[in-house]
Amino acid sequence: MDNENIVYPALEVHDLTVAFDRKPVLWNIDLTLPEGKLVGIVGPNGAGKSTLIKAVMGLLPLSSGYVKLFDQPINDVRKRISYVPQRESVDWDFPASVLDVVLMGRYSKLGLFKRPRKADYDVALDCLKKVGMEAYINRQISQLSGGQQQRTFLARALAQQADIYFMDEPFAGVDAATEKAIINLLRTMTEAKKTVIVVHHDLQSVTQYFDWLLMLNTRLIACGPTSTVFTQQNLQETYGGKLTLLSDVGDLIRRENFPNREGVTRKVL
Amino acid sequence: MNNNDLSIIFTASLVASSCALLGCFLILRKMAMVGDAISHAVLPGIVIAFLISGSRDSMTMLIGAGLIGVLTTFLIEFLHKKAKLQTDASIGVTFTWLFAIGVVLISLFAGKVDLDQDCVLYGEIAYVPLDTLIVGGQSIGPRALYIMGIILTIIILFIWIGYKELFLTTFDPAYASAIGISTTLWHYLLMGAVSATTVASFESVGAILVVALLIAPAATAYLITDNLKWMLVIACIAGIVASITGYFFAVWLDGSIAGAIAAMAGAIFVLAMIFSPTHGILMKKISAQPES
Repeated sequence: MDNENIVYPALEVHDLTVAFDRKPVLWNIDLTLPEGKLVGIVGPNGAGKSTLIKAVMGLLPLSSGYVKLFDQPINDVRKRISYVPQRESVDWDFPASVLDVVLMGRYSKLGLFKRPRKADYDVALDCLKKVGMEAYINRQISQLSGGQQQRTFLARALAQQADIYFMDEPFAGVDAATEKAIINLLRTMTEAKKTVIVVHHDLQSVTQYFDWLLMLNTRLIACGPTSTVFTQQNLQETYGGKLTLLSDVGDLIRRENFPNREGVTRKVL
Repeated sequence: MNNNDLSIIFTASLVASSCALLGCFLILRKMAMVGDAISHAVLPGIVIAFLISGSRDSMTMLIGAGLIGVLTTFLIEFLHKKAKLQTDASIGVTFTWLFAIGVVLISLFAGKVDLDQDCVLYGEIAYVPLDTLIVGGQSIGPRALYIMGIILTIIILFIWIGYKELFLTTFDPAYASAIGISTTLWHYLLMGAVSATTVASFESVGAILVVALLIAPAATAYLITDNLKWMLVIACIAGIVASITGYFFAVWLDGSIAGAIAAMAGAIFVLAMIFSPTHGILMKKISAQPES
């Protein structure tokens, strides 16, 4: 198992259980994620994907278990964490501009009493450029399209200059070109030793996007390098009886004979 | 215009500005009715404070009412989080219950308590000039003016210092918690400020005017601007304009001042709804018209 070879874990989760109204949403999750990887979380609706990242960040009460980030308790490393919530989780009619939202990414560094300075504005502008939103800097957030809202959230997360990023479905409602641009951006981030954890829906793109994969359905089905864990059997376990979808993905895997990280083509099935 | 007119208008403007500033955050947090709840729920606090201290000294009353005000927000949160009740339902249950306890207490100790519900609910801003603060045997002006001056200063400082945090925890609480800004802390600080303002204001202007001033000017500003800083400024202006025009309206009608101010606040809101450059009904009509 590759998990045991991780020397510098970015994230460790031990025996994590989360329950709503005594019904477990996540059950006994144990996992370790290495630093500097682009990690995908996949699973069917209601599998607890969003719950997992919220629980890891301490936004939800845990029924049992504990979480460590960079070998420290979460509250000691808050400044190194960034989060991109689901787009629908906020009110986009809020009286704020794109710049206002991106500057929020600087708040944890500023602390109480201090206002954003020139340096913070520069970082914000730079991050907006990275996501291709520099033309919309003073735009009201209520006038943005779905993809632009998503990119604004991404720029805010970037402005934090954190070490680990949790992203809840950053590709929802985003067009194909933007999705490509975002994934390239995430790649450059992981090259700079940042860890990026992404809740993802589209199984077709899993092998192209992620180095590391976490397959979830209340329990943890598999966690490891995409090339070893993205198998027919794990998919079957994760998605249960939804066979039409499964056979599609199975076909895709068979057709592509997808390459692993070393660039050596290897037959999976 | 004499001194009395001026001190009433000034007091009303101070109340209006304090309420307008806090109202902006309440509206954006979709908690507009919390002010309503607090203003009613503090009644038992006032009665208990009176029974314990035996005086109608406003400091005692303020403390009693302030404590109950914060308790109200705790209860609302508790019912919402633990009993899984919707926010509006938990607000409704909490404040009617506390208000009812206050009414029962007043009727029980009717002989000993020199208080009545009408006075608490409707207040009487016309008496503001009569209750003066006396220092060294010299009257230095209406007491309500000083109390509201202090409250407004505290609120401006609070928003000035905590602007970023209030902005972020209002817009995106999950993100705020993730980066280590306590949403609970800022929630209770805001609720504490709302309690203090409501309690301090309703003694002079009455609970109903407080509720109107908490919501109407902020709602007006929400329709006019898309910028939170401007929203705070415009809400204050709307509140002050309502106070001034409302006062003269009341003088002209020879009617209730608090009622007239609340009515003007409502009228200003309607004007904003029709004529606002961004969200106004008229502007939308004009821009929707096909060019001929």
